Amino acid sequence: MPTLREVRRRILSVKNTQKLTRAMKMVASSKLRRAERLLVQARPYSEKMKEVVASLAFRTGVKDNPLLRPGESGKVELVVLTGDKGLCGAFNSNVLRFAVSSIKGQVDNEVELFLVGKKGRDFFRRRPEYSICDEYVNFWRTFGLGDATHVSEKITSAFIKRSYRAVYLVYNEFKSALVQHVVLEQLLPITPMQLSEAQPGPEAEAADSADPKEPEPVRTDYLYEPSAAALLDDLLLQHIEFQVYRAFLESQASEQGARMTAMDAATDNADEMIRILTLQYHRARQASITKELIEIVSGAEALAG
Amino acid sequence: MEENNSKLSLTLVTPTAHLVFEQVDEVRIPGSEGDFDVLFEHTPFLTTIRPGVLSYRVGKQTHYFAVSAGFAEVIPTRVIVLARTAESASSVSERRAKDALERARNRLEKAAKGDSDIDAKRAETALLRATARLRAIALSSKR
Repeated sequence: MPTLREVRRRILSVKNTQKLTRAMKMVASSKLRRAERLLVQARPYSEKMKEVVASLAFRTGVKDNPLLRPGESGKVELVVLTGDKGLCGAFNSNVLRFAVSSIKGQVDNEVELFLVGKKGRDFFRRRPEYSICDEYVNFWRTFGLGDATHVSEKITSAFIKRSYRAVYLVYNEFKSALVQHVVLEQLLPITPMQLSEAQPGPEAEAADSADPKEPEPVRTDYLYEPSAAALLDDLLLQHIEFQVYRAFLESQASEQGARMTAMDAATDNADEMIRILTLQYHRARQASITKELIEIVSGAEALAG
Repeated sequence: MEENNSKLSLTLVTPTAHLVFEQVDEVRIPGSEGDFDVLFEHTPFLTTIRPGVLSYRVGKQTHYFAVSAGFAEVIPTRVIVLARTAESASSVSERRAKDALERARNRLEKAAKGDSDIDAKRAETALLRATARLRAIALSSKR
């Protein structure tokens, strides 16, 4: 039976931990709100971007762009997006487990890793059997479009220079604060399929702006400035950059969602623990009172006897 | 919208915001090969844009935006501008733009003196961006 003081100390310690988890939960939920807003704001850009790139790619029929063709090296690059920090449930380990299993699935290709986020880097650094070609860490706190630009520049230049067969992104897709889904997405080469699935979003504000467009683009001949090929080059780069940015946003929102859920659960668990400890405390107190009473009573009896 | 059938619909979006969705009379866009004006029934046109000032006119009201790289798609009834960043002149802080201009200039000078730590290209874009912001302010206050 633990002594009274020990139990009291433990209750205090659990209460302190609970304060931390509760604060972290609140921080995560406000960050989540911000991340979600960014995601929503990125949506119209994403749709317009897909529209424009798809229509240009089809109309010009440019086939020899290096970003549209798989490289010949027999290597693929896997870009793994994790957080810089832990304490967010299975968020990081889900991505990492998925990454490891998809590396194993690539039997006839050599896989090189581009690790975004500290958790993923630390994980793969401890496992020398994987080859890491690049990393980008400690940026989530101040994350912005610039980070995505930086990473996407590295990805595209590596894709061309080392002629990867393909580049894949592995990240947590944000479904809701409670649900995240690990997905594998092919980033490069850009496939016509990927472009053609430019479906309008659910809340298609584009309804009236898209209507007059439907019949037109097939027939209209555009003027291009600079040339169509140069333009496509530029557009594709920006398309990639934006895809990376979007994946970052998804991952960030997922991370905060996962952290919020995890910290919420932790706070609940702390409540439960405090309840049990308090019970224990009362029992111990009761026991000591009973003991004292017995001592007094038996002492008095001894005197009387 | 029927009564305005000589108006263009202008959409200006950036990755972080949907800034403009409006019926306008005229748009001036800083294309990479030169500024151009778009009126109703412009020929279909696709171009990249450079950092500069985008302006559009609704009636007698003209609005100014400082935009950075991106591209613009023009079809006879519609203009879509996808910019990496865009700020309306009213939201730009003049002091901050001037500071940014100063910083970019300093960095460019250092780069010219052979300081290899400095990314000259990046400094140059920063300079262009700052200039564009200041011009947008100047234009909108002159009006």
